[in-house]
Amino acid sequence: MRYLLFSALCFFCWSCSSDYRYMTSVGGNSTCAVKLAPAQFKDSWYHASVDVVGRHISGLLLIKNMPDSAYRVVFTNEAGVTFFDFGFANDKSFKVHSIISQLNKKPVIETLRKDFELILGLPFRSGPYETFAMNDEIFFGVRQKKEMAYFITSKDCASLRRLELGSTRKRKVTVKLIGKQYPAPEKIELVHNTFKMQITLTRFEKNDSAQ
Amino acid sequence: MPDRLSSILLSVIIVLVGTTQVTAQYDGYRSIADLPAFKKKFAQESSKVMSITSDFTQDKTLMALTEKISSSGKFWFKRNNRVRIEYLKPFTYLMVINGDKMMVRDSDKENKINVKSNKLFQQVNRIMVDCVQGTILDSKDFTTKVFEGEKLYLLEMTPAAKTLREFFQTIVLTVDKQDYSVSSIEMNEPAGDKTIISFKNKRLNEQVADAVFAL
Repeated sequence: MRYLLFSALCFFCWSCSSDYRYMTSVGGNSTCAVKLAPAQFKDSWYHASVDVVGRHISGLLLIKNMPDSAYRVVFTNEAGVTFFDFGFANDKSFKVHSIISQLNKKPVIETLRKDFELILGLPFRSGPYETFAMNDEIFFGVRQKKEMAYFITSKDCASLRRLELGSTRKRKVTVKLIGKQYPAPEKIELVHNTFKMQITLTRFEKNDSAQ
Repeated sequence: MPDRLSSILLSVIIVLVGTTQVTAQYDGYRSIADLPAFKKKFAQESSKVMSITSDFTQDKTLMALTEKISSSGKFWFKRNNRVRIEYLKPFTYLMVINGDKMMVRDSDKENKINVKSNKLFQQVNRIMVDCVQGTILDSKDFTTKVFEGEKLYLLEMTPAAKTLREFFQTIVLTVDKQDYSVSSIEMNEPAGDKTIISFKNKRLNEQVADAVFAL
């Protein structure tokens, strides 16, 4: 019984512990931030695969720069039917141009908005950056309304390791980049750490005459 | 009096502009004279098509973004209710319909769906099969206008159900006058985007193995 109580206490303490507890504030390295901040995204087509609480959906995702330097993110199924079309403006405003009724729910839109803002690197466009060190990594954080968005580099600033969105204690979203990096990442894996959702984007070259 | 004249002139312009829009909608096509006769012939001739093997190209145009994406692949149909669509370029994606069962496979996963359990899948399945089997004119999912061109018939289908109207403003089929097989499918979305699937190298009534539609 005593052992059980001890185990439960340990588990409770572990589950309450912060993912960022070993992070220490360090002096800013603006050269590194400028070098590796994911500030630009080239026009790209991706094959998208979304797994959310046991359901799987795939399709094509277009990320396009608009003349007013805003982004449009459009998700269609393979047969061409548009599921959603989102606009992300430079002034941080967001517009739903179209969305099918099955997805037209506030929590779904909010989740997708934050996910794509992180992938597009929008929180990192203006700073100011708060810089932290943990293990062998540097965390460049930009404060959001209730969260922090981080881009994480190696200690020597040789490479961008991943992006994260977290509360003060919990790591909520992780974005890993595989292969080529910004401004045209080859493969993007976005994982939600607080519920089961994963978005995988694999870049492909558009071929206007796919004969 | 001048007011009356200008209102008459305005009415004439509206009628003229309106007429021009209607006829310009499908260049080279006129309304079909004898719709019941066409329906009968369409059902008769389509029923002779036991199988189709074809290549296809698909062009999706995002109007507001002036963006177009093309893809291509292979298409198979076998009576009754069996369809296989395989996208090969620039991505791979497979969809197989076999009666009430459906399977989709993308680069990551394979999903088997019992169409009966999902109303939307049921509708999509029925439309696809009705289009290639020549039974679309009897479908309650659409109201259909039929036009006739030199080599093709054109069927403009407007969805009746709200669930379909959300996805499509119209679906326009062109049908080969020679063998009554579908030549192209144009899906027009409410926001103005469109997808055109064109069938090429069509071979009708060739032997197609059942294994092609295995789930």
